[in-house]
Amino acid sequence: MAGASSSWSHALVQISPYTFSAIGIAISIGVSVLGAAWGIYITGSSLIGAAIKAPRITSKNLISIIFCEAVAIYGVIIAIILQTKLESVPSSKIYEPESLRAGYAIFASGIIVGFANLFCGLCVGIIGSSCALSDAQNSSLFVKILVIEIFGSVLGLFGVIVGIIMSAQVSWPSK
Amino acid sequence: MSTFSGDETAPFFGFLGAAAALVFSCMGAAYGTAKSGVGVASMGVMRPELVMKSIVPVVMAGVLGIYGLIIAVIISTGINPKAKSYYLFDGYAHLSSGLACGLAGLSAGMAIGIVGDAGVR
Repeated sequence: MAGASSSWSHALVQISPYTFSAIGIAISIGVSVLGAAWGIYITGSSLIGAAIKAPRITSKNLISIIFCEAVAIYGVIIAIILQTKLESVPSSKIYEPESLRAGYAIFASGIIVGFANLFCGLCVGIIGSSCALSDAQNSSLFVKILVIEIFGSVLGLFGVIVGIIMSAQVSWPSK
Repeated sequence: MSTFSGDETAPFFGFLGAAAALVFSCMGAAYGTAKSGVGVASMGVMRPELVMKSIVPVVMAGVLGIYGLIIAVIISTGINPKAKSYYLFDGYAHLSSGLACGLAGLSAGMAIGIVGDAGVR
């Protein structure tokens, strides 16, 4: 078992890297889907309410729902990428520094993707709801508010980029 | 393994620093974009011609996300215990730099959101 050099290390070294990896993968998809769902319900409820008086807005404003959905897809993609990075190492090597680092990298990658997608989904949802409401008043506003929504959805892409860069750090010790 | 030098758990703090940089600045960028976007949409109903001018707070908030991305990438490529020894000192330094960038981005994003929302109205 690897030695520990500080008070935090004494606790962290006892935790298997597979624990951290599994939690990271779960967070990457679970929290991304939470963000997508939250955004969709914020946009959807405004959209349905506004469509009562202005039924013409429904088909155009489904784009906002699609932007929220993209966030969930990012989470799925990263979860699949991360779980292909998992390798089994013999039990003598589980607590080696290299496999500990691999576990931490998957964990951090999952947290980054999950929470970046959560806030992106929320942002796109809030803007999508105000897009629907302003479109119902004045249809020339739809494209302009959509530009703001595109700025919001870029945040999810940032999370994916950093998650992929960090997952390139994952290397388990060879058998 | 013989070339892996430094403390074992230092990468935990380093990677968490990269995560903090991106996640918190994403939080700030999202808050700024959403809050000022709602203000722009509400204002646009009354004065549609001013909407394109009022996109400036949204762009400012988006830039915060880019700052977090840059710092997260710099930190995560700096964690390489095979090339260079990675001690707890380096891990803590990366953690604090990530938190500094992220929390500053969070506060800036909240400020941009509130001011943008009030300003465009």
